[in-house]
Amino acid sequence: MIRSLAGSGRRLVAMALMMALAGCAGRQSALSPAGEDASWLHDLWIVMLVGAVILWTALNGLFFFVTRVRPNDWPERHANRLIIGGGVIFPTVLVGTLLAYGLSMMPHMRADGDGLVVKVRAEEWWWRVEYWPAGATAPIVTANEIRLPTGQRTELLLDANKYIHSFWVPALGGKMDMFPGRETRMTLRPETPGVYRGQCAEFCGPSHALMAFEAVILTPGDFAAWLEAEAAPAAPPATPEAQRGQTLFRDEGCGACHAVRGTEFDGLVGPDLTHLASRQSLGAGIMEVTREDLTDWIAHTRDIKPEVAMPAYDWLEAAELADLAAYLEGLK
Amino acid sequence: MTDPKTQTGSRQDEFEFFEESNALWWITLAPTTWAVHFVLAYGGTAVWCAKFGETQGVTVARLSIAGLTVLALGFIGWLGWRSVRRWKPRQNDMEDLSHPEGRHEFLGHAAFLLCIISAIGVVYVAMPALFITTCR
Ligand code: HEC
Ligand SMILES: [Cu+2]
Repeated sequence: MIRSLAGSGRRLVAMALMMALAGCAGRQSALSPAGEDASWLHDLWIVMLVGAVILWTALNGLFFFVTRVRPNDWPERHANRLIIGGGVIFPTVLVGTLLAYGLSMMPHMRADGDGLVVKVRAEEWWWRVEYWPAGATAPIVTANEIRLPTGQRTELLLDANKYIHSFWVPALGGKMDMFPGRETRMTLRPETPGVYRGQCAEFCGPSHALMAFEAVILTPGDFAAWLEAEAAPAAPPATPEAQRGQTLFRDEGCGACHAVRGTEFDGLVGPDLTHLASRQSLGAGIMEVTREDLTDWIAHTRDIKPEVAMPAYDWLEAAELADLAAYLEGLK
Repeated sequence: MTDPKTQTGSRQDEFEFFEESNALWWITLAPTTWAVHFVLAYGGTAVWCAKFGETQGVTVARLSIAGLTVLALGFIGWLGWRSVRRWKPRQNDMEDLSHPEGRHEFLGHAAFLLCIISAIGVVYVAMPALFITTCR
Protein backbone atom coordinates (compact mmCIF):
# COMPACT_ATOMS: atom_id res chain seq x y z
CA MET A 1 0.00 0.00 0.00
CA ILE A 2 2.64 2.47 1.14
CA ARG A 3 4.93 1.39 -1.64
CA SER A 4 2.31 1.77 -4.32
CA LEU A 5 1.42 5.20 -2.91
CA ALA A 6 5.07 6.24 -3.04
CA GLY A 7 5.25 4.85 -6.58
CA SER A 8 2.26 6.80 -7.82
CA GLY A 9 3.54 9.88 -5.99
CA ARG A 10 6.81 9.58 -7.86
CA ARG A 11 4.97 9.11 -11.13
CA LEU A 12 2.88 12.21 -10.39
CA VAL A 13 5.99 14.29 -9.72
CA ALA A 14 7.61 12.98 -12.90
CA MET A 15 4.51 13.83 -14.89
CA ALA A 16 4.24 17.33 -13.41
CA LEU A 17 7.91 17.92 -14.17
CA MET A 18 7.48 16.73 -17.74
CA MET A 19 4.49 18.99 -18.24
CA ALA A 20 6.31 21.93 -16.73
CA LEU A 21 9.33 21.36 -18.95
CA ALA A 22 7.17 20.85 -22.04
CA GLY A 23 5.66 24.25 -21.31
CA CYS A 24 9.14 25.78 -21.58
CA ALA A 25 9.90 24.43 -25.04
CA GLY A 26 8.20 25.36 -28.26
CA ARG A 27 7.94 28.10 -30.82
CA GLN A 28 6.66 30.80 -28.52
CA SER A 29 9.08 30.41 -25.67
CA ALA A 30 11.80 32.70 -24.40
CA LEU A 31 13.43 29.53 -23.10
CA SER A 32 14.03 28.08 -26.57
CA PRO A 33 15.93 30.99 -28.11
CA ALA A 34 16.31 31.10 -31.89
CA GLY A 35 18.27 34.33 -32.10
CA GLU A 36 21.13 36.23 -30.55
CA ASP A 37 18.96 38.63 -28.55
CA ALA A 38 16.79 35.84 -27.17
CA SER A 39 19.94 33.92 -26.15
CA TRP A 40 21.11 36.90 -24.11
CA LEU A 41 17.73 37.18 -22.43
CA HIS A 42 17.74 33.46 -21.82
CA ASP A 43 21.13 33.70 -20.08
CA LEU A 44 19.94 36.70 -18.09
CA TRP A 45 16.90 34.74 -16.99
CA ILE A 46 18.99 31.76 -15.88
CA VAL A 47 21.40 33.99 -13.95
CA MET A 48 18.51 35.79 -12.23
CA LEU A 49 16.80 32.51 -11.43
CA VAL A 50 19.93 30.98 -9.93
CA GLY A 51 20.56 34.19 -7.97
CA ALA A 52 16.98 34.17 -6.68
CA VAL A 53 17.15 30.51 -5.66
CA ILE A 54 20.39 31.09 -3.78
CA LEU A 55 18.98 34.14 -2.01
CA TRP A 56 15.75 32.37 -1.13
CA THR A 57 17.53 29.31 0.22
CA ALA A 58 20.07 31.32 2.16
CA LEU A 59 17.45 33.59 3.73
CA ASN A 60 15.14 30.75 4.71
CA GLY A 61 18.12 28.73 5.90
CA LEU A 62 19.01 31.65 8.11
CA PHE A 63 15.48 31.85 9.51
CA PHE A 64 15.61 28.15 10.21
CA PHE A 65 19.00 28.47 11.86
CA VAL A 66 18.07 31.30 14.21
CA THR A 67 14.64 29.88 15.13
CA ARG A 68 15.37 26.15 15.32
CA VAL A 69 19.07 25.37 15.39
CA ARG A 70 20.28 28.20 17.62
CA PRO A 71 17.24 29.92 19.09
CA ASN A 72 19.22 31.33 22.06
CA ASP A 73 20.48 34.93 22.28
CA TRP A 74 23.31 36.04 20.08
CA PRO A 75 26.20 38.18 21.27
CA GLU A 76 25.52 41.67 19.96
CA ARG A 77 28.78 41.77 18.04
CA HIS A 78 27.86 38.68 16.01
CA ALA A 79 24.31 39.85 15.43
CA ASN A 80 25.55 43.22 14.19
CA ARG A 81 28.03 41.59 11.88
CA LEU A 82 25.32 39.35 10.46
CA ILE A 83 22.92 42.23 9.90
CA ILE A 84 25.49 44.52 8.31
CA GLY A 85 27.13 41.82 6.24
CA GLY A 86 24.09 39.78 5.27
CA GLY A 87 21.48 42.53 5.31
CA VAL A 88 23.32 45.49 3.83
CA ILE A 89 26.56 44.67 2.06
CA PHE A 90 25.64 41.32 0.50
CA PRO A 91 22.31 42.37 -1.10
CA THR A 92 23.74 45.72 -2.23
CA VAL A 93 26.64 44.06 -3.99
CA LEU A 94 24.50 41.24 -5.39
CA VAL A 95 21.75 43.52 -6.73
CA GLY A 96 24.39 45.94 -8.03
CA THR A 97 26.16 43.12 -9.88
CA LEU A 98 22.92 41.84 -11.40
CA LEU A 99 22.02 45.40 -12.42
CA ALA A 100 25.40 45.88 -14.08
CA TYR A 101 25.08 42.53 -15.85
CA GLY A 102 21.60 43.38 -17.14
CA LEU A 103 22.60 46.89 -18.19
CA SER A 104 25.66 45.60 -20.03
CA MET A 105 23.30 43.81 -22.45
CA MET A 106 21.31 46.85 -23.41
CA PRO A 107 23.79 48.43 -25.87
CA HIS A 108 23.78 45.24 -27.97
CA MET A 109 20.02 45.32 -28.26
CA ARG A 110 20.18 48.90 -29.46
CA ALA A 111 22.86 48.07 -32.00
CA ASP A 112 22.51 49.37 -35.56
CA GLY A 113 20.77 47.23 -38.14
CA ASP A 114 22.67 45.74 -41.09
CA GLY A 115 20.45 47.34 -43.73
CA LEU A 116 16.98 45.80 -43.83
CA VAL A 117 14.31 47.83 -42.04
CA VAL A 118 10.89 46.36 -41.22
CA LYS A 119 8.15 48.75 -40.14
CA VAL A 120 5.27 47.28 -38.19
CA ARG A 121 2.14 49.19 -37.26
CA ALA A 122 -0.30 47.65 -34.81
CA GLU A 123 -3.91 48.04 -35.98
CA GLU A 124 -7.18 46.87 -34.41
CA TRP A 125 -6.38 43.87 -34.16
CA TRP A 126 -3.79 43.02 -36.72
CA TRP A 127 -0.31 43.99 -37.97
CA ARG A 128 0.51 46.18 -40.97
CA VAL A 129 4.01 45.33 -42.20
CA GLU A 130 6.40 47.11 -44.57
CA TYR A 131 9.79 45.88 -45.76
CA TRP A 132 12.39 48.50 -46.61
CA PRO A 133 15.52 46.76 -47.95
CA ALA A 134 18.69 48.90 -47.87
CA GLY A 135 18.33 51.70 -50.43
CA ALA A 136 14.62 51.12 -51.10
CA THR A 137 12.52 54.13 -52.06
CA ALA A 138 9.15 52.40 -51.66
CA PRO A 139 8.18 49.62 -49.26
CA ILE A 140 7.04 46.08 -49.96
CA VAL A 141 3.73 45.90 -48.12
CA THR A 142 2.26 42.85 -46.41
CA ALA A 143 0.51 41.97 -43.15
CA ASN A 144 0.17 39.64 -40.18
CA GLU A 145 3.49 37.92 -40.65
CA ILE A 146 7.15 38.85 -40.12
CA ARG A 147 9.88 37.22 -42.16
CA LEU A 148 13.51 37.84 -41.27
CA PRO A 149 16.83 36.51 -42.56
CA THR A 150 19.30 34.70 -40.29
CA GLY A 151 22.77 36.01 -39.51
CA GLN A 152 22.03 39.72 -39.85
CA ARG A 153 20.58 42.40 -37.66
CA THR A 154 17.23 43.72 -38.89
CA GLU A 155 15.92 47.01 -37.63
CA LEU A 156 12.25 47.06 -36.57
CA LEU A 157 10.47 50.40 -36.41
CA LEU A 158 7.21 50.09 -34.52
CA ASP A 159 4.15 52.23 -33.98
CA ALA A 160 0.41 51.85 -33.60
CA ASN A 161 -2.78 53.18 -35.10
CA LYS A 162 -5.10 53.82 -32.19
CA TYR A 163 -4.23 51.91 -29.02
CA ILE A 164 -1.04 50.87 -27.28
CA HIS A 165 0.16 47.38 -28.25
CA SER A 166 3.39 45.48 -27.73
CA PHE A 167 5.50 43.54 -30.19
CA TRP A 168 6.91 40.30 -28.84
CA VAL A 169 8.40 37.20 -30.43
CA PRO A 170 9.77 35.43 -27.36
CA ALA A 171 11.99 33.08 -29.38
CA LEU A 172 13.70 36.01 -31.08
CA GLY A 173 14.12 38.72 -28.49
CA GLY A 174 12.65 41.17 -26.04
CA LYS A 175 9.37 43.01 -25.99
CA MET A 176 8.80 46.51 -27.36
CA ASP A 177 5.71 48.63 -26.85
CA MET A 178 3.96 50.22 -29.83
CA PHE A 179 2.40 53.66 -29.40
CA PRO A 180 0.14 55.76 -31.62
CA GLY A 181 2.16 58.69 -32.89
CA ARG A 182 5.51 57.62 -31.49
CA GLU A 183 8.01 55.36 -33.19
CA THR A 184 9.87 52.80 -31.11
CA ARG A 185 12.80 50.80 -32.34
CA MET A 186 14.42 47.45 -31.74
CA THR A 187 16.83 45.26 -33.65
CA LEU A 188 16.80 41.47 -33.92
CA ARG A 189 19.39 39.01 -35.15
CA PRO A 190 17.75 35.59 -35.68
CA GLU A 191 19.94 32.53 -35.95
CA THR A 192 17.86 29.38 -36.42
CA PRO A 193 15.50 29.08 -39.41
CA GLY A 194 11.98 28.05 -38.44
CA VAL A 195 8.46 29.30 -37.81
CA TYR A 196 7.99 31.04 -34.45
CA ARG A 197 5.04 32.80 -32.94
CA GLY A 198 4.61 36.40 -31.88
CA GLN A 199 1.83 37.81 -29.75
CA CYS A 200 0.59 41.26 -28.85
CA ALA A 201 1.83 41.64 -25.29
CA GLU A 202 -0.05 44.71 -24.12
CA PHE A 203 -3.77 44.53 -23.49
CA CYS A 204 -5.30 46.55 -26.32
CA GLY A 205 -9.01 45.75 -26.49
CA PRO A 206 -11.59 43.01 -27.04
CA SER A 207 -9.50 41.04 -29.55
CA HIS A 208 -6.15 41.47 -27.86
CA ALA A 209 -5.73 37.74 -27.22
CA LEU A 210 -6.49 37.10 -30.92
CA MET A 211 -3.74 39.41 -32.11
CA ALA A 212 -0.79 37.19 -32.92
CA PHE A 213 1.43 36.52 -35.91
CA GLU A 214 3.87 34.03 -37.33
CA ALA A 215 7.54 34.93 -37.45
CA VAL A 216 9.25 33.01 -40.22
CA ILE A 217 13.03 32.88 -40.07
CA LEU A 218 14.76 32.06 -43.36
CA THR A 219 18.34 31.70 -44.56
CA PRO A 220 19.50 34.84 -46.42
CA GLY A 221 19.05 33.10 -49.80
CA ASP A 222 15.51 31.92 -49.05
CA PHE A 223 14.68 35.31 -47.62
CA ALA A 224 15.81 37.16 -50.76
CA ALA A 225 13.74 34.80 -52.94
CA TRP A 226 10.69 35.27 -50.72
CA LEU A 227 11.03 39.05 -50.67
CA GLU A 228 11.25 39.13 -54.46
CA ALA A 229 8.07 37.06 -54.72
CA GLU A 230 6.37 39.26 -52.13
CA ALA A 231 7.20 42.38 -54.15
CA ALA A 232 5.52 40.97 -57.26
CA PRO A 233 1.86 41.77 -58.07
CA ALA A 234 -0.87 39.24 -57.32
CA ALA A 235 -1.42 36.18 -59.48
CA PRO A 236 -4.55 36.54 -61.64
CA PRO A 237 -7.38 34.11 -60.84
CA ALA A 238 -6.62 30.76 -62.51
CA THR A 239 -9.92 28.84 -62.29
CA PRO A 240 -13.54 29.78 -63.16
CA GLU A 241 -14.33 29.49 -59.46
CA ALA A 242 -11.59 31.97 -58.56
CA GLN A 243 -12.70 34.29 -61.35
CA ARG A 244 -16.22 34.34 -59.93
CA GLY A 245 -14.60 34.97 -56.55
CA GLN A 246 -12.76 38.00 -57.89
CA THR A 247 -16.01 39.42 -59.26
CA LEU A 248 -17.67 38.91 -55.88
CA PHE A 249 -14.66 40.55 -54.19
CA ARG A 250 -15.35 43.60 -56.35
CA ASP A 251 -19.15 43.57 -55.99
CA GLU A 252 -19.18 43.05 -52.24
CA GLY A 253 -16.84 45.99 -51.75
CA CYS A 254 -13.97 43.96 -50.25
CA GLY A 255 -11.55 45.99 -52.36
CA ALA A 256 -12.54 49.20 -50.59
CA CYS A 257 -10.78 47.90 -47.50
CA HIS A 258 -8.22 45.45 -48.91
CA ALA A 259 -5.43 45.98 -51.40
CA VAL A 260 -4.51 43.31 -53.94
CA ARG A 261 -1.56 44.72 -55.88
CA GLY A 262 -1.85 44.40 -59.65
CA THR A 263 -5.63 44.84 -59.48
CA GLU A 264 -7.98 47.77 -59.02
CA PHE A 265 -8.37 46.85 -55.33
CA ASP A 266 -6.42 49.34 -53.29
CA GLY A 267 -8.20 49.68 -49.94
CA LEU A 268 -6.05 50.50 -46.94
CA VAL A 269 -8.42 49.82 -44.03
CA GLY A 270 -7.63 46.10 -43.74
CA PRO A 271 -4.60 43.88 -44.37
CA ASP A 272 -2.97 43.74 -47.80
CA LEU A 273 -4.10 40.45 -49.39
CA THR A 274 -1.73 40.36 -52.40
CA HIS A 275 0.05 37.18 -51.23
CA LEU A 276 -2.39 36.04 -48.56
CA ALA A 277 -2.12 32.38 -49.57
CA SER A 278 1.63 32.28 -48.98
CA ARG A 279 1.13 33.36 -45.37
CA GLN A 280 1.25 30.83 -42.54
CA SER A 281 -1.88 32.06 -40.81
CA LEU A 282 -5.18 33.88 -41.27
CA GLY A 283 -6.72 36.63 -39.18
CA ALA A 284 -3.50 37.60 -37.36
CA GLY A 285 -2.26 34.22 -36.24
CA ILE A 286 -5.56 32.60 -35.24
CA MET A 287 -6.56 30.40 -38.24
CA GLU A 288 -5.10 28.89 -41.39
CA VAL A 289 -5.42 29.86 -45.03
CA THR A 290 -7.69 26.93 -45.95
CA ARG A 291 -11.03 26.81 -47.74
CA GLU A 292 -12.83 26.06 -44.50
CA ASP A 293 -11.22 28.78 -42.40
CA LEU A 294 -11.58 31.39 -45.16
CA THR A 295 -15.33 30.84 -45.58
CA ASP A 296 -15.71 30.78 -41.81
CA TRP A 297 -13.85 34.06 -41.49
CA ILE A 298 -15.77 35.87 -44.22
CA ALA A 299 -19.19 34.74 -42.97
CA HIS A 300 -18.62 35.03 -39.20
CA THR A 301 -15.87 37.65 -38.86
CA ARG A 302 -17.11 39.30 -35.69
CA ASP A 303 -18.08 36.08 -33.95
CA ILE A 304 -14.55 34.88 -34.48
CA LYS A 305 -12.91 38.18 -33.61
CA PRO A 306 -14.95 40.72 -31.65
CA GLU A 307 -15.11 44.32 -32.87
CA VAL A 308 -12.98 44.02 -36.01
CA ALA A 309 -13.72 46.66 -38.65
CA MET A 310 -14.60 44.00 -41.24
CA PRO A 311 -18.34 43.22 -41.42
CA ALA A 312 -19.49 39.59 -41.37
CA TYR A 313 -20.80 38.58 -44.83
CA ASP A 314 -23.36 36.15 -43.42
CA TRP A 315 -25.85 36.76 -46.24
CA LEU A 316 -23.60 35.16 -48.88
CA GLU A 317 -24.55 31.69 -50.20
CA ALA A 318 -22.23 28.81 -49.44
CA ALA A 319 -21.25 28.66 -53.11
CA GLU A 320 -20.38 32.37 -53.13
CA LEU A 321 -18.26 31.99 -50.02
CA ALA A 322 -16.47 29.08 -51.67
CA ASP A 323 -15.79 31.21 -54.77
CA LEU A 324 -14.37 34.04 -52.65
CA ALA A 325 -12.21 31.56 -50.75
CA ALA A 326 -11.00 30.06 -54.04
CA TYR A 327 -9.94 33.51 -55.22
CA LEU A 328 -8.09 34.21 -51.98
CA GLU A 329 -6.44 30.77 -51.99
CA GLY A 330 -5.03 31.61 -55.40
CA LEU A 331 -3.25 34.73 -54.05
CA LYS A 332 0.02 32.87 -53.60
CA MET B 1 23.61 82.99 24.62
CA THR B 2 21.92 81.45 27.62
CA ASP B 3 22.05 77.74 28.18
CA PRO B 4 18.59 76.33 27.43
CA LYS B 5 19.04 73.74 30.20
CA THR B 6 18.73 76.53 32.80
CA GLN B 7 15.51 77.92 31.37
CA THR B 8 12.14 77.20 32.94
CA GLY B 9 10.41 73.94 32.03
CA SER B 10 8.09 75.11 29.29
CA ARG B 11 10.75 77.16 27.49
CA GLN B 12 13.05 74.21 27.60
CA ASP B 13 10.36 71.99 26.09
CA GLU B 14 9.82 74.56 23.40
CA PHE B 15 13.49 74.61 22.60
CA GLU B 16 13.70 70.82 22.42
CA PHE B 17 10.64 70.74 20.26
CA PHE B 18 12.24 73.25 17.92
CA GLU B 19 15.45 71.22 17.84
CA GLU B 20 13.77 67.92 17.15
CA SER B 21 11.46 69.26 14.49
CA ASN B 22 14.61 70.54 12.82
CA ALA B 23 16.12 67.09 13.16
CA LEU B 24 13.02 65.65 11.51
CA TRP B 25 13.73 67.89 8.53
CA TRP B 26 17.34 66.85 8.76
CA ILE B 27 16.59 63.15 8.25
CA THR B 28 14.69 63.89 5.03
CA LEU B 29 17.70 65.59 3.41
CA ALA B 30 19.47 62.45 2.16
CA PRO B 31 16.37 60.84 0.57
CA THR B 32 15.52 64.24 -0.94
CA THR B 33 18.98 64.42 -2.48
CA TRP B 34 18.43 60.95 -3.93
CA ALA B 35 15.05 62.04 -5.35
CA VAL B 36 16.43 65.25 -6.86
CA HIS B 37 19.36 63.35 -8.37
CA PHE B 38 16.90 60.84 -9.85
CA VAL B 39 14.67 63.51 -11.40
CA LEU B 40 17.59 65.50 -12.81
CA ALA B 41 19.32 62.41 -14.22
CA TYR B 42 16.27 60.90 -15.88
CA GLY B 43 14.43 64.11 -16.76
CA GLY B 44 17.62 65.81 -17.95
CA THR B 45 18.55 62.89 -20.17
CA ALA B 46 15.03 62.72 -21.63
CA VAL B 47 15.10 66.42 -22.48
CA TRP B 48 18.66 66.29 -23.81
CA CYS B 49 17.91 63.29 -26.04
CA ALA B 50 14.70 64.82 -27.34
CA LYS B 51 16.37 68.14 -28.21
CA PHE B 52 19.97 67.29 -29.11
CA GLY B 53 20.25 63.50 -29.12
CA GLU B 54 20.04 63.14 -32.90
CA THR B 55 22.95 65.47 -33.60
CA GLN B 56 25.13 65.40 -30.51
CA GLY B 57 24.71 61.97 -28.96
CA VAL B 58 24.41 61.42 -25.27
CA THR B 59 27.93 62.19 -24.01
CA VAL B 60 27.04 65.53 -22.45
CA ALA B 61 24.13 63.96 -20.58
CA ARG B 62 26.34 61.11 -19.33
CA LEU B 63 29.05 63.51 -18.12
CA SER B 64 26.41 65.67 -16.40
CA ILE B 65 25.07 62.60 -14.62
CA ALA B 66 28.61 61.75 -13.51
CA GLY B 67 29.02 65.28 -12.13
CA LEU B 68 25.62 65.23 -10.42
CA THR B 69 26.42 61.86 -8.90
CA VAL B 70 29.70 63.08 -7.41
CA LEU B 71 27.90 66.13 -5.99
CA ALA B 72 25.04 64.06 -4.56
CA LEU B 73 27.37 61.47 -3.01
CA GLY B 74 29.55 64.23 -1.55
CA PHE B 75 26.55 65.93 0.03
CA ILE B 76 25.15 62.64 1.36
CA GLY B 77 28.61 61.77 2.73
CA TRP B 78 28.70 65.08 4.60
CA LEU B 79 25.16 64.51 5.93
CA GLY B 80 26.18 61.04 7.05
CA TRP B 81 29.18 62.35 8.92
CA ARG B 82 27.08 65.00 10.70
CA SER B 83 24.45 62.38 11.53
CA VAL B 84 27.02 60.09 13.15
CA ARG B 85 28.11 63.02 15.30
CA ARG B 86 24.53 63.42 16.51
CA TRP B 87 24.15 59.74 17.10
CA LYS B 88 27.45 59.41 19.08
CA PRO B 89 27.58 55.63 18.69
CA ARG B 90 30.49 55.28 21.10
CA GLN B 91 28.55 56.85 23.96
CA ASN B 92 25.12 55.32 23.23
CA ASP B 93 24.10 51.75 22.76
CA MET B 94 20.84 50.74 21.09
CA GLU B 95 19.09 50.67 24.46
CA ASP B 96 19.79 54.39 25.04
CA LEU B 97 18.25 55.25 21.69
CA SER B 98 14.94 53.66 22.62
CA HIS B 99 14.19 56.14 25.45
CA PRO B 100 12.67 59.59 25.00
CA GLU B 101 15.90 61.14 26.34
CA GLY B 102 17.76 59.52 23.46
CA ARG B 103 15.53 61.13 20.85
CA HIS B 104 18.25 63.39 19.53
CA GLU B 105 20.71 60.52 19.15
CA PHE B 106 17.99 58.27 17.72
CA LEU B 107 17.27 60.80 14.98
CA GLY B 108 20.99 60.97 14.21
CA HIS B 109 21.06 57.21 13.91
CA ALA B 110 17.98 57.17 11.63
CA ALA B 111 19.45 59.94 9.47
CA PHE B 112 22.67 57.96 9.14
CA LEU B 113 20.81 54.85 7.95
CA LEU B 114 18.87 56.96 5.45
CA CYS B 115 22.18 58.35 4.18
CA ILE B 116 23.36 54.80 3.45
CA ILE B 117 20.25 53.79 1.52
CA SER B 118 20.23 57.12 -0.35
CA ALA B 119 23.86 56.71 -1.39
CA ILE B 120 23.09 53.21 -2.71
CA GLY B 121 20.04 54.63 -4.52
CA VAL B 122 22.10 57.38 -6.14
CA VAL B 123 24.68 54.87 -7.38
CA TYR B 124 22.02 52.57 -8.84
CA VAL B 125 20.24 55.50 -10.51
CA ALA B 126 23.50 56.59 -12.12
CA MET B 127 24.59 53.14 -13.33
CA PRO B 128 22.69 53.12 -16.66
CA ALA B 129 24.73 56.17 -17.70
CA LEU B 130 27.84 54.02 -17.35
CA PHE B 131 26.60 51.45 -19.86
CA ILE B 132 24.26 53.14 -22.28
CA THR B 133 26.06 55.06 -24.98
CA THR B 134 23.26 56.21 -27.28
CA CYS B 135 19.97 58.04 -26.92
CA ARG B 136 18.06 55.11 -28.43
C1 HEC C 1 -14.74 47.74 -43.65
C2 HEC C 1 -13.50 47.21 -44.17
C3 HEC C 1 -13.46 45.78 -44.67
C4 HEC C 1 -14.23 45.17 -45.62
C5 HEC C 1 -15.37 45.78 -46.41
C6 HEC C 1 -13.73 43.83 -45.74
N1 HEC C 1 -12.69 43.63 -44.89
FE1 HEC C 1 -11.61 41.94 -44.73
N2 HEC C 1 -10.61 42.73 -43.17
C7 HEC C 1 -10.76 44.02 -42.69
C8 HEC C 1 -9.97 44.17 -41.49
C9 HEC C 1 -9.84 45.42 -40.64
C10 HEC C 1 -9.30 42.94 -41.30
C11 HEC C 1 -8.34 42.59 -40.17
C12 HEC C 1 -9.12 42.00 -39.03
C13 HEC C 1 -8.27 41.44 -37.93
O1 HEC C 1 -7.63 40.41 -38.13
O2 HEC C 1 -8.23 42.07 -36.87
C14 HEC C 1 -9.71 42.08 -42.38
C15 HEC C 1 -9.23 40.79 -42.57
C16 HEC C 1 -9.50 40.00 -43.67
C17 HEC C 1 -8.82 38.79 -44.00
C18 HEC C 1 -7.67 38.15 -43.22
C19 HEC C 1 -6.39 38.78 -43.67
C20 HEC C 1 -5.14 38.21 -43.06
O3 HEC C 1 -4.11 38.85 -43.21
O4 HEC C 1 -5.19 37.17 -42.43
C21 HEC C 1 -9.39 38.31 -45.15
C22 HEC C 1 -9.02 37.05 -45.87
C23 HEC C 1 -10.43 39.25 -45.52
N3 HEC C 1 -10.45 40.28 -44.61
C24 HEC C 1 -11.25 39.09 -46.62
C25 HEC C 1 -12.29 39.97 -46.94
C26 HEC C 1 -13.25 39.71 -47.95
C27 HEC C 1 -13.27 38.49 -48.84
C28 HEC C 1 -14.10 40.76 -47.94
C29 HEC C 1 -15.35 40.97 -48.78
C30 HEC C 1 -16.28 39.90 -48.77
C31 HEC C 1 -13.64 41.69 -46.92
N4 HEC C 1 -12.54 41.17 -46.31
C32 HEC C 1 -14.23 42.90 -46.64
C33 HEC C 1 -11.56 45.00 -43.21
C34 HEC C 1 -12.50 44.79 -44.20
CU1 LIG D 1 -2.64 44.53 -29.53
